[in-house]
Amino acid sequence: MDQLNRSLQRRAIVFVLLAALGLAIILCTTIGPAGIAFTDVLAMLVRRVPLIGSLIPRGEWPANYEVIIFQMRLARVVLAALVGAGLAASGVVLQGLLVNPMADPYILGISQGAALGATVAMLSFGGTIIALGIYAVPLAAFLCGLATSIIVYHLARVGNRMQMSTLLLAGIAAGLFLSSITSYLMISSGQNAHQILFWLVGGFAGRGWDHVKILLPYILTGYFLMHLYARQMNIILLGEEPAQHLGIDVEKMKKVLLAAATLTTAAAVSVSGVIAFVGLIIPHAVRILAGPDHRVLLPASALTGAVFLVLADALARVVAAPEEIPVGIITALCGGPFFIYLLRKRNHPDF
Amino acid sequence: MPVILKINDIECSYGAIKVLNGLSFSIGSGNFTGIIGPNGSGKSTLLKSLSRVLKPSRGTVLLDKKDLYKMETQEVAKKMAVVPQETAINFPFTVKDIVIMGRSPHLGRFQNEGEKDYAVARQAMTLTGTLHLEDRAITAISGGERQRVIIAKALTQEPEIILLDEPTSHLDINHQIEILGLLQQLNREKGLTIISVFHDLNLAAQYCDSLILMKKGAIFSVGEPSKTLTVDSIKEVYGANVLIRKHPVSGKPSIVLLTRKTQTCSRNGRIHVVCGGGAGAPLLGLLTGEGYEISTGVLNAGDIDWETAKVLNIVVIDETPFLPVSEQKHMDNIKLLADIDVCILANIPFGWGNLKNLEAVSFAQSLSKPIMIIEEQDIGERDFTDGKARLLYNNLKAKGAFVVHDEAAALKQLQNLL
Repeated sequence: MDQLNRSLQRRAIVFVLLAALGLAIILCTTIGPAGIAFTDVLAMLVRRVPLIGSLIPRGEWPANYEVIIFQMRLARVVLAALVGAGLAASGVVLQGLLVNPMADPYILGISQGAALGATVAMLSFGGTIIALGIYAVPLAAFLCGLATSIIVYHLARVGNRMQMSTLLLAGIAAGLFLSSITSYLMISSGQNAHQILFWLVGGFAGRGWDHVKILLPYILTGYFLMHLYARQMNIILLGEEPAQHLGIDVEKMKKVLLAAATLTTAAAVSVSGVIAFVGLIIPHAVRILAGPDHRVLLPASALTGAVFLVLADALARVVAAPEEIPVGIITALCGGPFFIYLLRKRNHPDF
Repeated sequence: MPVILKINDIECSYGAIKVLNGLSFSIGSGNFTGIIGPNGSGKSTLLKSLSRVLKPSRGTVLLDKKDLYKMETQEVAKKMAVVPQETAINFPFTVKDIVIMGRSPHLGRFQNEGEKDYAVARQAMTLTGTLHLEDRAITAISGGERQRVIIAKALTQEPEIILLDEPTSHLDINHQIEILGLLQQLNREKGLTIISVFHDLNLAAQYCDSLILMKKGAIFSVGEPSKTLTVDSIKEVYGANVLIRKHPVSGKPSIVLLTRKTQTCSRNGRIHVVCGGGAGAPLLGLLTGEGYEISTGVLNAGDIDWETAKVLNIVVIDETPFLPVSEQKHMDNIKLLADIDVCILANIPFGWGNLKNLEAVSFAQSLSKPIMIIEEQDIGERDFTDGKARLLYNNLKAKGAFVVHDEAAALKQLQNLL
């Protein structure tokens, strides 16, 4: 009956987190300067659900409230959830593959590459929009992030094998190199420096359904690929050779997972900037609470990452209202101390 | 015995360095084979090429007549399990989690472990004596327990072959014996083919049906332990001087290492040692180390000092076990004394059986040979001849025998005398 209990437990954890995410999305959609009541938001949302939607009567709210909720707030909250899920899941995968507790989605230079791309895009277009419209910065960030990681992967390839320790070092070296270029561009850019910094810290200000549409396919495909390998990821923690002896095609697995994590992260960064700590602390926190089994760890981390970033973004909107602070500052502010707390509290030698 | 693994002229290199150089052999199903050889002889590389980790640049490895490197990884994992030297696991998986991972080759991508898989894992844990640990974290058990868990994981694969790389080299002797005993049991009772790299020649000799002795990336010899492990082969392959004896219980070859000193020193001087019952063994070893020419007697065959003397290639006058020293042997002993430089008497008890040896010492003294007595206990406590031995003994002392209290002092005294 072991396995029955276990799969029940797995499902229970995922179900609870899913409910939490739903709640967080609704709750955070109500937050904002327009003071729309929670019940009204709930009614508006349920009315959009097919079949049961027609059962709910339209409330007394002004027509522009629906525009605020659906066109602005909901899109932003959903985007935060997707980015949080993508970063946390990628963090789980990279920590597992690199067998390194300090690994996060940015460790392979993706963020620094994306930052440079975004910086160049913002400077060349003066921050205003030309042919590519709002896609200019995300596209540049996405491509440069991807290009960086591809270069890093090639540096770490020895024959047919991907050397994970070299990968880590190559990622760090490439990251340092690129961020020095970004820093130079920022310093010499004068007035634009503020705008670039705002993007670098990461946030969702002014993002909408367009960004969700860009991101969604990457998150879904990336997560699907990662989840395919959930059981195998447990085994690779024993080491690459032992995993191969258990019948796993390790090189193929590494390639697929790195590609999935890279695409997911590059896409997330391209729409939100470099949001710190989510991909590092969420996997650790969930591992401590739910154990090391990736069949739970992966979905639970993705959901927890989504909840966390949705809440952090809400905080970013209200803390200094009507001004908004970048969500990356909130995540780092919450994340740092929380991480230290976890490290001090844990009593086993794992990560 | 059908062949399960056939290695055909394989060659392996790391970069430009050729590590394996044209090896061929085959392993029969149900065999317990050990791979031995000095560091850098290619043992681990050979194991890697057998376990589908390092593809040979030339030659083939056939598993059940199929080319190992053309089979699917998963297909290989159903037939072959590998136990590494040590498994570092930093994640708090439970023992059960780890063991059930052995089912991986039998599961589809979306399949989770079922009741049957858990039954196989439980059986493997029972066999390896790890069932009571099933809910403990793998990070919280001892090295010996962890290695048994890894073997349980290997068994859960339900393989036909288990490859091991020095599976016990990090373990205490009790765990070494426990784990090798377990492997032997699996080999005998379940017909599991076992191939293991060994560092320890004695363990390899004890447990293996056959040994592959490697030297510089090639096979030096293959066969039963008694055929592969000889003084000459070890001298040739390891460059070490050893003695091969029969294990007192199993009768398998047992290797005794000789200290470096045994091989280098050479001093002039013939020394006869009168000893018995183990009292002389350390002295015989020390004297051999110093390079003196040594004889001893009379000793009963099978006595510990007799065995030591035999092992050290010392001239021994021996008597049939349990018989008192006969006149004949006594005379042989006395004949030896004519040519010696010093006679040493160890701290031994005297009874009617060996009183003649004491007489021999007296005889040597009468030839004006220097006599040295190692006295740790008063003669009164070890005289069982109603005072006869005491008389002879005290006479020796009275006539100027040197008395020392331990072997080290004896060596020092000896250097003054010669």
